[in-house]
Amino acid sequence: MAWGEYPAGYNPNVHGPYDPARFYGKADTALANVKLGELTAWLGRRNLSLGGIAGGFSRGFWRWQHKYMQPKKVGIAPFVQVTVGAMIFFYALNYGKMKHHRNVKYHW
Amino acid sequence: MLSRVALKPVRSAIQPLRMTQTSATSNAAAAATSESSERDLVNFPRPVRQEFPAKVRMGFIPDDWFQFFYSKTGVTGPYTFGLGLATYLCSKEIYIMEHEFYTGLSIAIMGIYAVKKLGPATAKFLDAEVAKSDAALNSGRDVSIDQAKSKIVSEKAEQERALAQKMLFDAKRENVALQLEAAYREQLIKVFTETKKRLDYQVEVQNVQRNLEQRHVVDWVLRNVRAAVTPEQEKATLSQCIANIKSLAQQNTARI
Repeated sequence: MAWGEYPAGYNPNVHGPYDPARFYGKADTALANVKLGELTAWLGRRNLSLGGIAGGFSRGFWRWQHKYMQPKKVGIAPFVQVTVGAMIFFYALNYGKMKHHRNVKYHW
Repeated sequence: MLSRVALKPVRSAIQPLRMTQTSATSNAAAAATSESSERDLVNFPRPVRQEFPAKVRMGFIPDDWFQFFYSKTGVTGPYTFGLGLATYLCSKEIYIMEHEFYTGLSIAIMGIYAVKKLGPATAKFLDAEVAKSDAALNSGRDVSIDQAKSKIVSEKAEQERALAQKMLFDAKRENVALQLEAAYREQLIKVFTETKKRLDYQVEVQNVQRNLEQRHVVDWVLRNVRAAVTPEQEKATLSQCIANIKSLAQQNTARI
């Protein structure tokens, strides 16, 4: 799979129009249905190459797009989701500086 | 010609990739497109643009997450988890409530108020705008469909008219037959009149001949009679006439 090409598993004759939110490889158990004991095996089967991780993020982005952003009568939810996500992201970025604003010294 | 184009199978190779389509058009589009024989429509149906976004709770938290918890923890599970997590983060001051937190809180309250207050009206306005733009985008196609439909209607009317032409042909044929009949009868009359004229001519010729003969005979007889009358006979006749007149005059004077 080179840059700018469809995933290796994608075959237009079988799969029809390309859906960027879809995984065209061999389907595995969904993460929500994986038992704790099988988690390491499940993680071992993941494609952890750079392309695989990028593909995963891309599919996640497009799944979110189709689910919340692209519907015809879209609400405010995706915008709030982006805002909350940005809040968490920047809070994590600034956490080192935030630490100095703690109100109490000991936590239990 | 149009119907022939419509009957042609649409090649899937020239079909554009349609990622954004509403559910109403997708089934018809899928049915109209001829797919490859190995196409798996069960596991890989055509992507369809949703009419409504997925359900969320509290404005932004996906309902799926709550569903994920329900099967394992029951209805209160996600709330327990969320509250517990928030309590943990705040209690350990992993989430630190410095001055910006209160800024964020007030902004959030204002935002929620604005969404509750202005949301429905904005949604209504934007839905109307979306409908308008959809109508604008579809108008070209709809106009084409209407034109094709009206063309079909007019084509049907033309076909009806062509059928009527058959009747017209029959009428014309009848008309021509009538004309032929009329011409035939006219010619019959002509033959009749011409024959009659010739026969009349013959009759007239015979009549004239007979008249001439008669006159000639009469003339001949008169001439011969005149030639036969002598002066003595004429004198005797004259004197006889005078004697008759005299006797007549005598009879008439006695009566007066």
